Amino acid sequence: MARTMIRRLGFGVIAVLGVAVLSFLLEFVIPGDPARAIAPRAQSAAVLRNITIQLHLNRPLIIQFLDYFGQLFRGNLGTSYVQRQSVTSLIGPRLATTGELALAGVIAEVILGGGLGIVAALYPRVRAAVSAVNLTLLALPQFVVGLLLLLIFGFKLHLAPVTGGAGPAEIVLPALTLGLVGAPWYAQIVADQMGDSLASAYVRTAVAKGLPDRYILWRHVLRNVLSPAITMIGMDLGAYLSGVVTVEVVFGWPGIGLLAVDSLQDLDRPVVMGTVIVGAVAVVFFNLVADVLRMYVDPRTREEQA
Amino acid sequence: MAQTAIPAPAPAPADTVTEAVSERSRRARWPASLIAGVILLLIFAGIAVAAPAFGNPLQQNLLTGLSRTGLPLGISWAHPLGTDLLGRSELARLAFGIRTSMIVAIVSNVTSIAIGAAVGLAAGFFRGPVEAILMRVTDVGLALPYTLAALVIAGLMTAGLTRVIVIITALFWAYPARLVYGEVLRLRHRGFVESADAIGARGVSIAGRHLLPHVFPLLVTYSPLNAASAVVFEATLSYLGAGINPPTASLGNMISDGQTAISYAPHLLLVPAVAILLITMSFLLIGEGLKARNPDLARVSWLGR
Repeated sequence: MARTMIRRLGFGVIAVLGVAVLSFLLEFVIPGDPARAIAPRAQSAAVLRNITIQLHLNRPLIIQFLDYFGQLFRGNLGTSYVQRQSVTSLIGPRLATTGELALAGVIAEVILGGGLGIVAALYPRVRAAVSAVNLTLLALPQFVVGLLLLLIFGFKLHLAPVTGGAGPAEIVLPALTLGLVGAPWYAQIVADQMGDSLASAYVRTAVAKGLPDRYILWRHVLRNVLSPAITMIGMDLGAYLSGVVTVEVVFGWPGIGLLAVDSLQDLDRPVVMGTVIVGAVAVVFFNLVADVLRMYVDPRTREEQA
Repeated sequence: MAQTAIPAPAPAPADTVTEAVSERSRRARWPASLIAGVILLLIFAGIAVAAPAFGNPLQQNLLTGLSRTGLPLGISWAHPLGTDLLGRSELARLAFGIRTSMIVAIVSNVTSIAIGAAVGLAAGFFRGPVEAILMRVTDVGLALPYTLAALVIAGLMTAGLTRVIVIITALFWAYPARLVYGEVLRLRHRGFVESADAIGARGVSIAGRHLLPHVFPLLVTYSPLNAASAVVFEATLSYLGAGINPPTASLGNMISDGQTAISYAPHLLLVPAVAILLITMSFLLIGEGLKARNPDLARVSWLGR
């Protein structure tokens, strides 16, 4: 088990490095001069040239590349071209804001999706209705769900704030958006797993020996749902922490996704790199954590991996 | 003792059973979701082809297309779905937006699955360094933060259909590559592959003639789900200004325009939103139907959001 984990960790590091190298190269191909983006009204070529030299943009690409990755291995993500502060100090608070939203979103989708799945598994009559709800939610893009929620709860019912920000009232609609969009995935997994479990010999045995329904449900049936659900939660936390760009744009939620979009427009390469790398690390890290947790909860997956 | 007559169960005539069986197999071949999805998709394909018949999507009617206070018009005979902020016919824009979505869905679906299948087949079949490199590259593709990566690529190209298709292909090939790779791993120790190898068939011919036919059903089941994700992603890109830019109509940029009028003309948001919902739904229904026809493939999952 430890060996599998080390191997996966190695693959994870390779994947993150691959993403970093790829985005570093891509950024250099993007047309546009960062110096011009920093000083849009600069009249003289000398000013632009000074900025270029200051940022070391006049050096050969390979030197810049080695320089950047050398610093990266020392944990230094560089300095923002535009904001004049370290990328780490820019990303830190944004990551925290996105983290709040990611957590609230995952909680919302687990509750909504879990609820839908359990209802579908226990009450066959409503199964068709539940899958209709699932398909509808699945068919809608995140930003459409967000805008519809804004329209209904913000503009029509006046129940939620329509201005951007990161307060406790402002988090409700973005988290609900993530919850609604993510719910069908959880509903599907929960319904499938519960269906298998309810039809299994161990549940029949538990019923036959007279265990109370509630005990069977919690100890035998729902426990089996836990392992795939953990995998999904890990994937989602990682993906959301890499920036829920569309939701952040729709609601003006000042997270890491919005930071990335803004710095992309400013050609602020170090910040874009920082957000992409942090995002990739989040994806890889949470997938790994989910795998470890799953092996802990479900002994069967330990053998499978070996 | 009065004997209650228990009616003996009438033996079912043979043809009833046959009919019932054939009825069941007919249903299994054409599940309701598949029929519904295909009908919906045909309707949208029809709208996409006949888009010019719905009017000119670029014609601005600042005098007749707007109210006296300069607001978009609601539903009327002259403008069945109202007009947008520039007095353009919302119906015409919708038809062309649907055309955009359908083109993106079809083209990027083919390109991403073709690349994914090629990578998966190659990685699964040629072992050693090729397998290792291709699958690590696939890992990178799967670990990319989608929206951000899309925005970076968008910066490299000019707005338009090509840009959207390139972005979607660049991001969507990795998942089918992983699917095909997994399938080939299952197949490569089976007799027919090993015997083809034993008689000296070349790798390309084994991959193309022996493995691909086995992987094909998997790809067919996956493709409507992939197309649905492509429609969603196109709309998202155009909404963020990284896909198809105005004045060309796309469901995504129509919503982006419409959201500025959210408080007084919500139909500009709702009309394209319903269209996206129905197009994506048609693909998902087809996907569900194909899964119902072939339960072995039920593990094929949805992709993007």
